Amino acid sequence: MDRLLTEIGLFAPAVVFNIYFAAASIPLGFVMAVFLALGKNSTNPLISRLSRGYIYAFRGSPLFIQFFMVYSLALSFNVGVWKPLGISWFVLHPLFIGPLVLVLNTAAYTAEIFYGALRAVPRGEVEAARAYGMSRRQQFRHVIWPNLIRLAWPAYTNEVVFLFHATAIVYFALPVIGQQKDLMITAKELFERDYNAFLHFSVAALYFLAVSLVVFFLFGLVYQRLMRHLPATPGMRFAPKWIR
Amino acid sequence: MMDDVNFWLGYLTNGKHLTWYASFQFTIFAAVVGGSLAVVFGLIGATLKNSRFWPLRLIGSTYSSIVRGVPDVLFFLFFPLAFEQGVEWVMASQVCTPDTIAAQSAAWPPCKEANWFLGTPEYLILASVSLGLVYGAFATNVIHGAMRSVPRGQLEAARAYGMTARQVLWRIHIRQMWIYALPGLSNVWMLIVKATSLLSLLQIADIVLWADRLGAPNFLPAVGLVHEDWRWRYYLVLFVFYILVTLVSERAFAALMRRAGRGILVEAR
Repeated sequence: MDRLLTEIGLFAPAVVFNIYFAAASIPLGFVMAVFLALGKNSTNPLISRLSRGYIYAFRGSPLFIQFFMVYSLALSFNVGVWKPLGISWFVLHPLFIGPLVLVLNTAAYTAEIFYGALRAVPRGEVEAARAYGMSRRQQFRHVIWPNLIRLAWPAYTNEVVFLFHATAIVYFALPVIGQQKDLMITAKELFERDYNAFLHFSVAALYFLAVSLVVFFLFGLVYQRLMRHLPATPGMRFAPKWIR
Repeated sequence: MMDDVNFWLGYLTNGKHLTWYASFQFTIFAAVVGGSLAVVFGLIGATLKNSRFWPLRLIGSTYSSIVRGVPDVLFFLFFPLAFEQGVEWVMASQVCTPDTIAAQSAAWPPCKEANWFLGTPEYLILASVSLGLVYGAFATNVIHGAMRSVPRGQLEAARAYGMTARQVLWRIHIRQMWIYALPGLSNVWMLIVKATSLLSLLQIADIVLWADRLGAPNFLPAVGLVHEDWRWRYYLVLFVFYILVTLVSERAFAALMRRAGRGILVEAR
C-alpha cells in the first residue's frame, strides 16, 4: 500500500505533461475544426475539396507517423531557417511540436464531428431564419451554431478523451528533454529499472482513467448548461459513440 | 538523364531498401491477425455481455470499459511485457534452484535459466494478440449494439418456426447482426491499421523503423555524402501509404456492406 502511494507520487509530475499537451491543443483544434467543417460544407469547390482532403488525410493516417513527419520536416528546415532566425530551440522543442501535431490531428477528427452535426441542423430552422431576413452571419450565430454545438457535444467529449489518450505517444516520437517526462516515459523508465510491469503500467493507466473521468464530468456539466432550455436534461450518452 | 534514372533505380533497389519493402509484411501480418482476433474477442465479449449469468456479464463489461478507458499504446506495451514475465515466472518455478537465484544480480528474471528471449516473430505474435485484445474491446461494444438492433420480430418469427435457441442465435441473430455491425467494425479496422504503426515500439524492425534508418543522413567513405537528412520524405511515403490503405479499406467495406445487405430492406438498416 505504501509502495502504491509513493508510486502515485512519482507519476504526479508526469501527468502534468499529458494534461499540458491536451490542454494546449484543444482550444486551437476546436477553432480550426469549426473552419474546416464550414469549409467542407462550402459551396466553393476549391475550399470544399481542400478541407475534405485535409480531413481525410489526417484521419486516414496514424498520429505516430504524423509526429515523425512534422518533426523531421522541422528538423530539415533547422539549418536553413530556424537557426539563422535563432528560434530553433523553440520550434524543435517537444512542448511546441507536440501540441502542433496534436492540433493538426484533432482538428481533422473534430471537423468531421462538426460537419456531421452541421448536416443534422434542422432545415426548417435555417429556412425560418432566412425568412426573417437574417444575414448569413446572423444565421450562423443565432441558428446554426447553437444547434451544431449541442448536436456535436457528446461526440466532441469522446474526441477530447481520445486526444488525451493520444498524448501517450508524444514522447515516443519526440526527444525527451531532461526531466520532462510524461506518464508513458515515466512508466517505461521505472519498468526498465525494476521490471515490475504490473505496478508501473497500472498506475499510469489509473492516471489516464482518472483524468478521462474528470473530462467526462466537466464536459457533462457543460452539456447540461447547453441543454438548460429543455425541461428534462437528457443524460449524455457515450456508449455508441466511443470510436472516433 | 539516363544517369539519373540509373541512380534512382539502383538507390531504390539497394539492400536496405529491399529490407524496407520486405518489412511491410510485419505491418500486414499484424493488421490481418490483429483484426481477425479483434472480431473473435469482440464476439466473445458481446456474448459475455449478453449472458444471463451476472458474473460473466460483469467480466464482459469490465473488459470493454477498462481496455477502452486507457490509451491503446499503454496496453499495447503492457501486454507483451506482462505475458513475457508471466511465462518467465512459470519457468522460474520449474528450473530455478536456490543457488541460481542467489547468483542472479538483476531484478528479473529470478534466475538466468528462466530467461525467455523474444525475437521478432514472438514479439510480432504478441503484438498482434494485444492489438486483438485492445480493439476487441471496441468490437465488443459494436457487436453488442448490433445484436440489439436486430428486429425483435425476426427472432420471434424464428422461435415461432420452432427453432432452438442455438439455431436462432446462429441462423438468424448473428447472420442479421453483420449489417448493423459492419459500419462500426469498419471504424475498428481503421483504428487497427493505424495502430500497426506502433510495432517499432516493441523492437520490431517494421516500416517506421526502416524509414527512420534509411532517411538518416547517408555518408559513404567511398562516395562522400549520398544524401542529407531525407527522413521527412520517407515519412511522407508512409503517410501516403496509410491514406491509401484507408481508401482501399473503405472501398472494401462498402462492397462487404452491399453483400451483407442483400435481401434486407434499405429502411431496416
